[in-house]
Amino acid sequence: MSAPPAIAVSGLVKEYGGRRVIDGLDLQVRTGEVLAFLGRNGAGKTTTTEILEGYRTRDAGEVTVLGEDPARAGARWRARLGIVLQESQPVPTLTVREILRLYAAYFPNPRPVDEVIHLVGLDEKAGERAARLSGGQLRRLDVGVALIGAPDLLFLDEPTTGFDADARRQFWDVIQGLRSTGTTIFLTTHYMDEAQALADRVAILREGRVAALGTPSELQASLGGVEIRFELPAGVARADLPALSVAPRVDGPHVTVSTEHATADLAVLCAWADGRGIDLPSLEVGRPTLEDVFLAIAGDAAPGGTR
Amino acid sequence: MSMLAAQVRADFTAFRRAPSALFFTVGLPVIFLVLFESIFGEQMVPGAAGQVSLATLQVPGFMVMGVVSASFVSLCITMVNRREAGVFKRVRGTPAPAWVLIIGQVVTTLVIGVLMVVVMLIIGRYAYDVRVDMALVPWLVLGVLVGAIAFSCLGMALAAFVPSMESAAPIANLIVLPLYFISGVFVPVSELPSWLATFASWLPIRPFVEMLSYPYEPGAAVPWAALGVVAAWGVLGLVVASRFFRWTPRRD
Repeated sequence: MSAPPAIAVSGLVKEYGGRRVIDGLDLQVRTGEVLAFLGRNGAGKTTTTEILEGYRTRDAGEVTVLGEDPARAGARWRARLGIVLQESQPVPTLTVREILRLYAAYFPNPRPVDEVIHLVGLDEKAGERAARLSGGQLRRLDVGVALIGAPDLLFLDEPTTGFDADARRQFWDVIQGLRSTGTTIFLTTHYMDEAQALADRVAILREGRVAALGTPSELQASLGGVEIRFELPAGVARADLPALSVAPRVDGPHVTVSTEHATADLAVLCAWADGRGIDLPSLEVGRPTLEDVFLAIAGDAAPGGTR
Repeated sequence: MSMLAAQVRADFTAFRRAPSALFFTVGLPVIFLVLFESIFGEQMVPGAAGQVSLATLQVPGFMVMGVVSASFVSLCITMVNRREAGVFKRVRGTPAPAWVLIIGQVVTTLVIGVLMVVVMLIIGRYAYDVRVDMALVPWLVLGVLVGAIAFSCLGMALAAFVPSMESAAPIANLIVLPLYFISGVFVPVSELPSWLATFASWLPIRPFVEMLSYPYEPGAAVPWAALGVVAAWGVLGLVVASRFFRWTPRRD
């Protein structure tokens, strides 16, 4: 027995001023899974998300969200969605509880307001005006607003942008809690660690199409090879490194060698370090990270906007 | 219905907590009335039906200022702020129908306008001995209702053309301030050149003042024409607003 997909998209096309932002996108999101939707700025993440949410129209393709076409679906369909937009601020003079109470009135079968306040960890801020919340607390209020209608499907568009590490961890806990209740979650994010921590499957968008789709470990395995990572020892420049089977990537002091010949390259590196009488700090050998997969698949950074 | 009640309750709370809206809508008309009466005192001026005290004209004049401030200026600023902050976009992603947001604002500002009128009635009666003809109270109610709804429609229409949060208050005030001057709010219309008075009588504020003045000047002609002009502006506002109103921020 398999439930119908929560989201099914095929051949989706969207143009802005003659430019194809979405160019034949196909994607299925299973009921109950967390799907992370990754892509560079300008790859079409928000455009796709807003088409699925019913905010934008499409130029071609089939889209089904919770069994209905978002372009035509009505209030009963919207009652099953929870939406966290990329940018939105609440009415600043209302308190957390007042805002949630108002949104609860919009839905036919809302969750109890206090339950949602607790779920997003704002118990101590329930009587605080929105204007006095921190960025992380505002975002959690945003999620609370999206959860108040007890949605079957939750859209999160870059929910943790601008969070500090603590706030991000707390937010992840909230999302993991929701996932365990069976809510389907469509998560757009810039952060690979977030996708790694939360997602059952990851879709990587490139030039308006899904270029890769799979579980994080499937994607990591698909890239093949092994990564040798270490830090440049003090006083050693990039040019001093020995010749390896591939050119290493250097990012500040961090050196990454993505290689198909790990043992040979390691031997060269170790002999080189030994000959110079130096050590390779933080040396590790492992699979490619999700970030490596992303960099390999998502392509070069596109200039401009967040559409 | 409970959805609308929740909306009005939240909108009213938000209004109550916005110091500038509160000051301009409730404080300023009262301050102006007190200032004008203490400066010009017991002057008699020509009204619609013979000589009356200045306060007889200015109490309804500042009532209009309060209602216009709530229904037109505040409403326009609120609509633009909510649109640009993404509040409306968020609500459009819930099952709530659009009319809840619109009627919620109209009802909220109507309640505030009515409260303002009551405040002015009491100050006028007890501070300046300006009395309403009790038989014409229905006219006062009708005038406030038609005026508040018409100016709400105009406020929505204006909101559609205001590009940003920062420009909402200056634009709305720039429109109403000169109109107060030529509509008998600050200066009796008898002081205006007749072409200017005629011009003002075709704009929405002067006829609104006439409607609210009538219960204070029972000898005057029934202001059917004024009612018609205000209602016509309201319909125009409604048409423009429903054609150009947008829910999403300009940047979208």
